[in-house]
Amino acid sequence: MLAAVDKYRHAFLLGLQGNLVYRWNFAVRGFFSLFHLAVVFILWGAAFAGTEAIGGFDLRQTLTYFITILVLQFFVSAFNEDYQISEEIRNGLINQFLLKPINYFLYRFSIFVAARLVSGALVILPLLVALPFVHGVLTFPLEPWRLAIGLPAVFLSAMIQFTIAYCFGMLTFWFLEIQGFVILSMAIEAVLGGQIFPLDLMSPDIFATSMLLPYPYQMYFPAAIFTGRFGFEESLWCLGIQACWVGILVVISRGLWARGLRRHTAVGG
Amino acid sequence: MLHYFRIWLASVRYSIVRTMMFRGDFLVWSLVELFWMTVNLLLINVIYRHTDSIAGWDKYEMILLVGTSMLIQRFLMGFFWSSIFEMGRNVRTGAFDFFLAQPGNIMFMATTRKLDPDGLINSVVAAGVVLYAVNQLGLQPGPLDVLLYAFMVGCGLVIHYSILVLSISLVFWLTSAQGVEGTYFTLTEFSRLPREAFKGFVSQALFVWLLPVVVVSNAPARALIDRFELSWAWTLGPFLFAAAWFGLAVFVFHRGLRRYTSASS
Repeated sequence: MLAAVDKYRHAFLLGLQGNLVYRWNFAVRGFFSLFHLAVVFILWGAAFAGTEAIGGFDLRQTLTYFITILVLQFFVSAFNEDYQISEEIRNGLINQFLLKPINYFLYRFSIFVAARLVSGALVILPLLVALPFVHGVLTFPLEPWRLAIGLPAVFLSAMIQFTIAYCFGMLTFWFLEIQGFVILSMAIEAVLGGQIFPLDLMSPDIFATSMLLPYPYQMYFPAAIFTGRFGFEESLWCLGIQACWVGILVVISRGLWARGLRRHTAVGG
Repeated sequence: MLHYFRIWLASVRYSIVRTMMFRGDFLVWSLVELFWMTVNLLLINVIYRHTDSIAGWDKYEMILLVGTSMLIQRFLMGFFWSSIFEMGRNVRTGAFDFFLAQPGNIMFMATTRKLDPDGLINSVVAAGVVLYAVNQLGLQPGPLDVLLYAFMVGCGLVIHYSILVLSISLVFWLTSAQGVEGTYFTLTEFSRLPREAFKGFVSQALFVWLLPVVVVSNAPARALIDRFELSWAWTLGPFLFAAAWFGLAVFVFHRGLRRYTSASS
């Protein structure tokens, strides 16, 4: 059992080393995301100029939501895991995994966790720079249950992000180029993941329907727990739906791997 | 001039033939751009469900502003994006030699070689968004208003083109311009905001005057909404900005070119 875990620990450590090489890339990305935050502040600041509350939340609560989303992005988002998997399939690099006692999904997930720890740690730097300007708007509800439900929700969000990216990577078994699919999906994820606006600002019917899809559980759901947009019962119920989606996506990803391997031809030694 | 037009037409022919060869790609990328445009409109729709005005702009004025910003961006993507984006890679790999041997101005040849029909197709959609907003606002622009609008969109395109060429020209010094495209897209986010939303000296100085991304879209939209009640600053401003930024882009590009050392031979 320990030996089985140990090999993924090594993959995790390799992932840490590999991603630390790109530390400046992540730091620059974090710095430029502050510009996006500036757009959000200007736009929503202007929208709130004539009204006290939008969707039942004031300006500070809304801006806190967007800052939380920004931080979550660096901790749970799949940045380019789909492309990496696609490259490994296209270049035949997955052949080595077919001959070794290692699960490709868990191997990639170990690297993903390492990558998110590095990018998450590095986003702290630009946030510290921005803190003097934004600390006045930050307002978080302090009920302890939000942490108890929110942290598992963040982990499950990362799982959903990773499995969706993994499934897109698997499409390389059928299609040579997956970039178009990925960017198309990014647009859907940006909207239904709550990155463009808090989903609860949509009409109640559309909001209720969207909460049945996996996308809101990629980022919106944990952000909504931490920023007070969801109550206790609602959060618990959605945590259940989120766990179901993780299960469904893991099954789909395993299915795609099994079906894809039947089409795969390993050439060379 | 006619010589350059013929060269450009040859590039258009090449790009269209290439697109016809990869029809699936064309369809997917057209959809991708269409989706992102829809996302921007959706954001406006959601905000205006809860408020009547953003910095004094009503819903359809905002749609006109965002439509104008999208129109300029689609033109940039359609006419120049691929060529300028590839320029960075070509300088790094040494493939830029190819442009030095061509019969024409190097900056022209390097930045106009490829057209993206998917961007151009979506410029029709963006123009449709502008027309829809004009109709909803009950505006009835005359030929002069339309000419002024088109002129300002042209100025906006020149400014975007110049900023992009300037950014990618850094590759002559840095060797790699990876990630510059992300910076450009972040800046264009500002062009979808009304100028009146920028409060405070720093944000006005930085985004309205130093990097005129806000003026680029606000000026043409205002030209339609306010018609000839525009001040001279608003009418002449975009032209002066465009001329200044284009001049700077030409200067930096040619300074950079002196540093280019072929890597291919």
